[in-house]
Amino acid sequence: MGEIRIEGLTKVYSGNVTALDRLDLTINDGEFFALLGPSGCGKTTLLRTIAGLEVATSGRIHIGERDVTKMSPGDRDVAMVFQDYALFPHMTVSDNIAYPLRIRKVDQASRAQTAARVGAGLGLNGLLERRPGELSGGQQQRVALARAMACEPSAFLFDEPLSNLDARLRLEARTFLKGLQHQLGVTTVFVTHDQAEALAMADRIAVMEAGRLRQLGTPAEIFHRPIDTFVANFIGSAPMTMLDADLVRGRLYVAGTTIEQEVAVRWSGPDPSDGPVVLGIRPEYVRVGAFGPMTVQATIRIVENLGATVLLTAETASGDRLQALVPDGTQPAVGAQVELSPVAERVLLYDEEGHLMTPATQAAPAPA
Amino acid sequence: MSPQAFLRRVGFVLFLAVVTAFWALPMLWLVTAPFDAHPGLTVRWPEWTLDNFRRLSESPYAFSSLRNSVLLAGGAMILVTVFGALAAYALSRVHVPGRGAILYGMLLLSSIVTGTAAMVPIFQLMFTLGLIDDRTGVILVLTGGLLPAAIFVLKDFMDATPRSYEESARVFGASPTQVLRHVVLPIARPGLATIAVWALVNAWGDFLTAYILLRDPTKTPAGVVMYTFYSEGGQANLPLISAFSVLYALPVVVLYIFVSRRYGFRFHGGIKS
Amino acid sequence: MSDRAADAAGLGRPRAAAFMAPALLLITAFLVVPALWTLVLGATNYRLTGLAAANPQFVGTGNITEALSDPGFGWSLWLTLLFVLGSAIFGQSLAGLSLAWSLRSAPKVVKAVVETLVLMAWILPSSVVAFLWVAYLSRHGGTLNAILQTPGTDWLIQHPMASIIVFNIWRGTAFSMLLFSAALSAVPPSQMESARLVGAGTLAQLRDVVFPHIRGHVLTNTLLISLWTFNDFTPYLLTAGGPNHATEILPVFIYNRALYGGELGYGSAISFLMLIINLVIALFYVRLLRERR
Ligand SMILES: Nc1ncnc2c1ncn2[C@@H]1O[C@H](COP(=O)(O)OP(=O)(O)OP(=O)(O)O)[C@@H](O)[C@H]1O
Ligand SMILES: [Mg+2]
Repeated sequence: MGEIRIEGLTKVYSGNVTALDRLDLTINDGEFFALLGPSGCGKTTLLRTIAGLEVATSGRIHIGERDVTKMSPGDRDVAMVFQDYALFPHMTVSDNIAYPLRIRKVDQASRAQTAARVGAGLGLNGLLERRPGELSGGQQQRVALARAMACEPSAFLFDEPLSNLDARLRLEARTFLKGLQHQLGVTTVFVTHDQAEALAMADRIAVMEAGRLRQLGTPAEIFHRPIDTFVANFIGSAPMTMLDADLVRGRLYVAGTTIEQEVAVRWSGPDPSDGPVVLGIRPEYVRVGAFGPMTVQATIRIVENLGATVLLTAETASGDRLQALVPDGTQPAVGAQVELSPVAERVLLYDEEGHLMTPATQAAPAPA
Repeated sequence: MSPQAFLRRVGFVLFLAVVTAFWALPMLWLVTAPFDAHPGLTVRWPEWTLDNFRRLSESPYAFSSLRNSVLLAGGAMILVTVFGALAAYALSRVHVPGRGAILYGMLLLSSIVTGTAAMVPIFQLMFTLGLIDDRTGVILVLTGGLLPAAIFVLKDFMDATPRSYEESARVFGASPTQVLRHVVLPIARPGLATIAVWALVNAWGDFLTAYILLRDPTKTPAGVVMYTFYSEGGQANLPLISAFSVLYALPVVVLYIFVSRRYGFRFHGGIKS
Repeated sequence: MSDRAADAAGLGRPRAAAFMAPALLLITAFLVVPALWTLVLGATNYRLTGLAAANPQFVGTGNITEALSDPGFGWSLWLTLLFVLGSAIFGQSLAGLSLAWSLRSAPKVVKAVVETLVLMAWILPSSVVAFLWVAYLSRHGGTLNAILQTPGTDWLIQHPMASIIVFNIWRGTAFSMLLFSAALSAVPPSQMESARLVGAGTLAQLRDVVFPHIRGHVLTNTLLISLWTFNDFTPYLLTAGGPNHATEILPVFIYNRALYGGELGYGSAISFLMLIINLVIALFYVRLLRERR
């Protein structure tokens, strides 16, 4: 009932800004779906177009069985939570929560009842008679959620729901929101530019750039197999290290290192043609010491303590930078000469255009 | 305290005393004379009485002119607020082509085409429209003059309120009229109140427009009647004038107190244009 | 918030146009049409009564050239200049600035009292304040003569221009005071403090710290109060332009010639010149506003 199907969606703003460019996307019923991408890539536009606040230039949108492309926002049976929550400052919390019911001409008594019930579910009892201005940011956010829930829509749309909260509260709200969505089972689309948030909360993620879909997949797929160097750069708390390499007759050479690998061993398909490639290495999958076939000599330049882990930045003989994320207590000192070993199964190969070459069969991990 | 600092202190106090006297002295008469049994032109401690107010009813035009003022100022206030709010809302929320030009054009016009500079053509226009000696005509002229500034201020106010309020209501299914009734109006209330008071005070104090457009003494507002009370030849009737001026000035003072209590006297350069 | 949705409330263009229509209609009728009309009227010999009333003749720029060579007009323009310079640009600006400056350090009660008095002078209806001043300045029994011990001095007859200039300072300083207090409260206290620490006196503080901050406000203030004073009709309520044209500033001149004397065409020509002067001041002001945005 709550599936959202988007076909060839294009949105051109006046002034010829193409915010969405022939987008195809299906969001499954009951799914917690994240729209992720850098600022200005069109996430908010997509969300607002689904809500009906923007009119699509071309393309279609279906929610469930209904074609809603031309419908006005109120007829689409979706609820939206805005980044600033948009709680009406002149109404009490209770009136805010029950506002969707007021529009549906539900009588005052049952409205108050619903507001109390939904509010209680979100821990808002005792606050119902206050005005939004008298609430903390976290409470306001929950009122906004309650208001969205009160109209029992077939989909929730959240625009950066957590970005107005401070760092600590954001972590709590993340967990809370995920739990809530799981419990309600309502299709939910949320916009974020924080990759950690998307990875943590979503069932599936769409990574967008310049109005187009770059990659669509589960958090694990996106994290472990970024489809191109753009996504690879965008995902992960520490950016992926990119090393220029050469593919010569099936073997991989990285200048200034001893990385030299029989690519054929790891390729199931036809051998890729010779030429320059890019080697992508996640710092999480680099170990200190000589393990396996891909060991690099490097000098430690920077050591950053992140709490339980330590981020090492090292320099190879050719001047390339390589980062490694190691458990606290195992880090070498600055200036130390060490051997760093990327985990061979986790290393990704990108061609000159930045497209992923490593075939899917090599992707090891099952989602945790 | 050093002698220098002392001198400076004395100078400061002296300055404030002179300033206070300068502004207070002309106004004192308004406080004393109306309650004096035998008001003169000089300010003096009154022989208290309210008799002067009773004698107002002896003048045929005193009360009718106040009623006319209520009519004119109230009419202008309602038109300015309603039309100004509607236009400001549309200009703020809907992308109307050339709205920047419209706004600046209006602001420019209202500063150029003042009641004084345009009194001749306005008189002519009203003459042609047959609106001389018609209170509706005065209301319309006053409204036209006040609208641009009202729209400008209200648009600023609307621009400062996030659109997400209205969008949120819309996603919940509110119709445009419901959005206006439930969300926009309540949120814009302080701005509307400000403009309403501003328009009221301006129209209430108007002299020129009514002076040139109204002839019939039963239609003229308090501002004009006040002037005829003291400018017409013969001995000025001070009991009448003093009591009348207090009644005429009172609403403005009350509004001032209300506005400065409620919002502080800081909005857009104050209450007059 | 930039130009987000083109239409947040879902009004749609037609409804938006309907919302704007009444306001635009009134503005067109009572601001645009009169302005254009001034042009047309100014080019005829239209009179309220007599032959020319029934059949106005086109006289082209005749009225304007007549005005420019009319000594009455020249005199009126000169008085207007004196009035604007004396009461607005010098009087109200300086009074407003010194009030705003000194009230910062005044006790709260004093500040409230002085501010209220100055504001009252501004917002009371003009015919009331005009009579207050007529009484205050009157020859026999006026309070001013009683205070200054100058019995029998008729200020409005003997010093008519000075009287209306002082009157207008009294009447209109409130705006400058409000504007400058707002501007002064935006001057960072730390800068004043450091100026005082290095021993700068009041004048040096004003010149080096305050003025650079309020320069824009000074300009805004000057333009606005000049415009308003230039268009102020209130002196009419004190002197009606007399004695013997001694206070016949332009607005009063127009009234006396066109609506009282009935020379509508000639009055329109003067109105037209006045509109042009207003336009020049207003253009400066609007440009200033735009630059600040
Ligand atoms: N009303 C509008 N008119 C014109 N251009 C717009 C409008 N709204 C957005 N844009 C443009 O469309 C593009 C996409 O904007 P959008 O707000 O969807 O980005 P976003 O991914 O949500 O960015 P952010 O993370 O900064 O919120 C941007 O280039 C933006 O400048
Ligand atoms: Mg956004």
